[in-house]
Amino acid sequence: MPPAASSSSSPTDTTWTHEYDTIRRENLFRNPPKDHSAYPALKAAIAPHVESFNALFGKDGLVAQGLLDIGTKTYLDGDDRAGLAGKNKMTIKIKEVFVEKSVLPPTNKFSTRNREILPAECRERHVTYRGKMSAKFEFRINNGDPKEFIRDLGQLPLMLMSNRCHLENNPPAQLVQRKEEAEELGGYFVVNGIEKLIRLLVVNRRNFPMAIERPSFQGRGPTYSKYGMLMRSVRPDQTSQTNILHYLDDGNVTFRFSWRKNEFLVPVMMVMKALVETNDREIFEGLVGFSGSEGSKNTFLTDRVELLLRTYKAYGLYTKSKTRAYLGEKFRVVLGVPDTMSNYDCGTEFLRKIVLVHLGNVNVTEAQDDDKFKMLLFMTRKLYALVAGDCAVDNPDAVQNQEILLGPFLYGMIIKERLEDWVSVQLRLAIRDYLRKSPENSFASPEFLKDFPVKLCGRTNENVGGALEYFMSTGNLVSPTGLDLQQTSGFTVVAEKINFLRFISHFRMVHRGSFFAQLKTTTVRKLLPESWGFLCPVHTPDGSPCGLLNHLAHKCRILTHAVDASAIPKLVAGLGVVNSGSSSTKESVVVQLDGKILGWCTPKQSRAIADTLRYWKVDGTHNVPKEMEICFVPNSHGGQYPGIYMSATPARMIRPVKYLPLDKEDFVGPQEQPFMSIAVTEPEIISGESTHVEQDPTNILSILANMTPFSDFNQSPRNMYQCQMGKQSMGTPGTAIRYRTDNKTYRLQTGQTPIVRAPLHNEYGFDNFPNGMNAVVAVISYTGYDMDDAMIINKSSHERGFGHGTIYKVKKIDLEEGGNKSRSSKNIKKLFGFAPGSEIKAEIKSQIDEDGLPHIGRLLQEGDKICAWHTVTQDVHGNLVNRDGITHFEKYKDSEMAFVEEVRLIGNENGVEPAQAISVKFRIPRSPVIGDKFSSRHGQKGVCSQKWPSIDMPFTESGMQPDTIINPHAFPSRMTIGMFVESLAGKAGALHGLAQDSTPFKFDEQHTAGDYFGHQLMKAGYNYYGNEPMYSGITGEELHADIYIGLVYYQRLRHMVNDKYQVRTTGPVTQLTGQPIKGRKKGGGIRVGEMERDSLLAHGTAFLLQDRLLNCSDYTRSWICKECGTFLSTQPTVSAFASRKKGTGVVRCRKCAHRAEGWSGKGEIWEDGEGQRWVGGEETTIVAVPGVLKYLDVELAAMGIKLKYNVGP
Amino acid sequence: MSREAYQVPTAVPTPGRDSFQTNLSGDGPAINYLCGDCNAKVPLKRGDPIRCKECGHRVLYKERTKRMVQFEAR
Repeated sequence: MPPAASSSSSPTDTTWTHEYDTIRRENLFRNPPKDHSAYPALKAAIAPHVESFNALFGKDGLVAQGLLDIGTKTYLDGDDRAGLAGKNKMTIKIKEVFVEKSVLPPTNKFSTRNREILPAECRERHVTYRGKMSAKFEFRINNGDPKEFIRDLGQLPLMLMSNRCHLENNPPAQLVQRKEEAEELGGYFVVNGIEKLIRLLVVNRRNFPMAIERPSFQGRGPTYSKYGMLMRSVRPDQTSQTNILHYLDDGNVTFRFSWRKNEFLVPVMMVMKALVETNDREIFEGLVGFSGSEGSKNTFLTDRVELLLRTYKAYGLYTKSKTRAYLGEKFRVVLGVPDTMSNYDCGTEFLRKIVLVHLGNVNVTEAQDDDKFKMLLFMTRKLYALVAGDCAVDNPDAVQNQEILLGPFLYGMIIKERLEDWVSVQLRLAIRDYLRKSPENSFASPEFLKDFPVKLCGRTNENVGGALEYFMSTGNLVSPTGLDLQQTSGFTVVAEKINFLRFISHFRMVHRGSFFAQLKTTTVRKLLPESWGFLCPVHTPDGSPCGLLNHLAHKCRILTHAVDASAIPKLVAGLGVVNSGSSSTKESVVVQLDGKILGWCTPKQSRAIADTLRYWKVDGTHNVPKEMEICFVPNSHGGQYPGIYMSATPARMIRPVKYLPLDKEDFVGPQEQPFMSIAVTEPEIISGESTHVEQDPTNILSILANMTPFSDFNQSPRNMYQCQMGKQSMGTPGTAIRYRTDNKTYRLQTGQTPIVRAPLHNEYGFDNFPNGMNAVVAVISYTGYDMDDAMIINKSSHERGFGHGTIYKVKKIDLEEGGNKSRSSKNIKKLFGFAPGSEIKAEIKSQIDEDGLPHIGRLLQEGDKICAWHTVTQDVHGNLVNRDGITHFEKYKDSEMAFVEEVRLIGNENGVEPAQAISVKFRIPRSPVIGDKFSSRHGQKGVCSQKWPSIDMPFTESGMQPDTIINPHAFPSRMTIGMFVESLAGKAGALHGLAQDSTPFKFDEQHTAGDYFGHQLMKAGYNYYGNEPMYSGITGEELHADIYIGLVYYQRLRHMVNDKYQVRTTGPVTQLTGQPIKGRKKGGGIRVGEMERDSLLAHGTAFLLQDRLLNCSDYTRSWICKECGTFLSTQPTVSAFASRKKGTGVVRCRKCAHRAEGWSGKGEIWEDGEGQRWVGGEETTIVAVPGVLKYLDVELAAMGIKLKYNVGP
Repeated sequence: MSREAYQVPTAVPTPGRDSFQTNLSGDGPAINYLCGDCNAKVPLKRGDPIRCKECGHRVLYKERTKRMVQFEAR
């Protein structure tokens, strides 16, 4: 074996090819590297999650930015209704937020050496991986000296591998020691022992005025048109505020925004005039252009601008200060500003908090207000252009106008909102409460100063960490503002580790938002060419989430930090950008950076500027960052509004391509890509037009889609199906299964590395998580058991372990389920173990150990006892004593047998409590049985229909037998030629001992795959076409046709009959109707519904129909009176002589009977239960009816409707 | 019980491990568990706090049974 020192001497190699690299992998596995992971591609795949979480905390973190935005809150004491005079003022702000790593609480005095709580422990104990969160507050009273205090804000769930996690930067060797996967990726949270992650969401592109046409805008009010200009403006803390300009039919423009879930409309003129000291001429020229310019001749525009200016006259607000004061007065209550603030300042606050917040949201300078003013002018100008038809609408469903809302950014938004809620709402209530209770105190009194940081704050709900834990565990957003999002639930998902493909896919998943899932139109789901290279065209599920749930292409990155673009304004000014422009795009086009107008230039200049900046960007000179996006929109006839739109913000998608002029790597973004010419392959480069070329055509595919071998040979839906099934296959979730407590895990015992694979298979380290087996597959119709996608497995292959799998189930047995969380030894009511002194049967003794827990390795059947517990109370000495002597048991309820794999005793973090919870892991062996599902990697799924005896299998001339037989009919309609090629390549690879590269787009018409692998086969002495003569295993005769036989990688899917079969003849029924109950778990039936009934009727199978609908359902024998034709009046007779239990067996109709008193006619006298004597009513008989019929009769009788049955002979 | 299930060896009970009835007065026998962190043997009795005596770790594993475990393989 190679020495372990090899990793320490030279850094771990991270380059991979498609080769097996068996020894290298073996060494990596035995001696996990001590420097860094050998699979950096995996780290890069989840990087957006971890990096964005890292951006949250720290000095300039997003939360710190959010605190600046929250600002200072002012409170006054005294009576609310009284005036301001004589009141004390208190201002408070949050200075800093701290989040610590996960450690033991100080109450735990037992662990002295290591106080860290590692993620693995949280998984094992079914608790949340979280760290203490606290905040430093600063308050001052009446402009006195600021005082500081620190409050605890609860425990915040932490992301694994982030900078608040113990595992950050741990090399694989240390990760293994800490009970993690060697290639642990992090990026998720552990909440109640379950791994959860926040979905990536698609949102509108930030800081870009998007032209939209929405018929629903017309419903906003009279004269509202369908045109709008939408700008999702994002603050430095990543919270956003959407501003919309509405075009009114008469030419007016209204500014709309939503604040705390309420919508407000303000004339855009008012906002403009409030921002800067301006006049109508300046606004007119800002919208139209200087007189004499091309734009000023546009009468469509000038007419409307004139009207815009004219209608605003009605308000009579001329100066900036007056307009601000007016706005402030109107929005005072909405914004919740303190009483001390003047109307003018309140108007300033309105502009700071709501209007184009990306251009300044903290300490807004005049220059920033001017930027906002200019941007509003530009938006209005573009809106008029849209209405005039000079520019097209921007498609909000195209990636071009989208960005990604990273989970941790959302997390930070919620933290910010909770903090703001605390400092404004919670604190106000607490202060009011305090002052009401102790009116003798004011803010100035020393009593208050003492009480405020401790007592008063203690009364508020400070549990910010708890709120986020709720968010993580439910995915529900509880928010007063709605966070500018369109949904309130479904933000988090469980990172299921069914197999590694599934797991990794979760982190590359991008959701459009659950709002769009309900939309009836399918436009949002469409695959648009703009997505090229950013979202995988193949990897989306079919069915309801199709097109809404996409996956990132494997080379697509998401930026988590803004790049430094501070040099850009100077550079563009140097390139000829001037300060003012005309409304005519033929004259001048805009140059913007992150939604800030840098200036204007001519269309001719703009192309040169864009090209120069791009050259500098790739070259790395002039401080133009490489990750910046330079979207040059050229002039067109009614196309997108032209200009140069640069962005350096985070949350953008970018992808690497090669820049041809410099032959260097460039990053392109989704906004610029539609206007660029990027050749897919080198031969496609058009001289003079193409500026870029793809690094690799497979870059457009997601990680999973890249794993489909020769996917370019398949019909495209088949590749989609494979992306689905790859995620459903029973594989290897990881190597640290021992330390995991997932409710259900699947594991394939006999996984292999595929012979046919792409180099990316190794790059992503998928050999650490085998997902299937190489099977010898014969395409032949041999047994008759292979119709309709059934497949036959060689019984001997099965016996050698083909497809053998295991399910692990974990059951947590909690004695204090949902009980009080603040436990002390006094609260303990139950203990594991047998009650002392209780009698225990030998049978139970054999099942459960003395401590009341199951023996490890024991076989469990349905109804077996898992563990024993008893109740306890505390006696005078503080000992826990059992008083009732009763032992209770927990039972194993599943119908399938299982083995006890592990038993974990879960202590609490204080280390003082006896066992209150255990977690038991069961192992259920699942060898393949008839009815289990398998699939190749080409969307060719099938169900095992027979395990065919080896001796009866067909064999080749070399004596090979197939492991699997599939029917040739599986191919013609599905056209999965990739599977044929894989079979061929696999066969050649196995014969020569080669790993075959299966990257798509490698072969073409001149160099065909069939030829390449055919020649390999020929070299090995096999048929060029992959066919072989075969002999019947039954008769030994040669089959008339040569059979296509080769090696295909097969996956075993997790859908197994043992989890699905549902049979019943009789069984549990519904009390009310007597019909079978629903549900597999409860032993119910499958409904024979209307359509099934119709088909049985049509077939004339009357007996079958009766059997289904009556005999196996609510068949009831019931007494009925033939005379009066009802069920309801029959009653059994009672006799003093008959036995109580059996009764007389005679049933009479009470309705048709007469009282026996004074009766002298003939007939037998009978008695009812009350001892009354009757005569008659003898015409009763038993009929077979459906049980519900009687129920119907009763229901109708209750409404006063009588049913009368005419009973036949 | 089906024939597949584990049958208690009827011959000689393992001393110490099968003393249900004998040790009823106290808090039961001390049973060894394994610490989830340092792998030390942690003897615990009924009602003892779940904590490793060596390192204070809070997850303990039950040891695999010492008794014969035998199934009919079919």
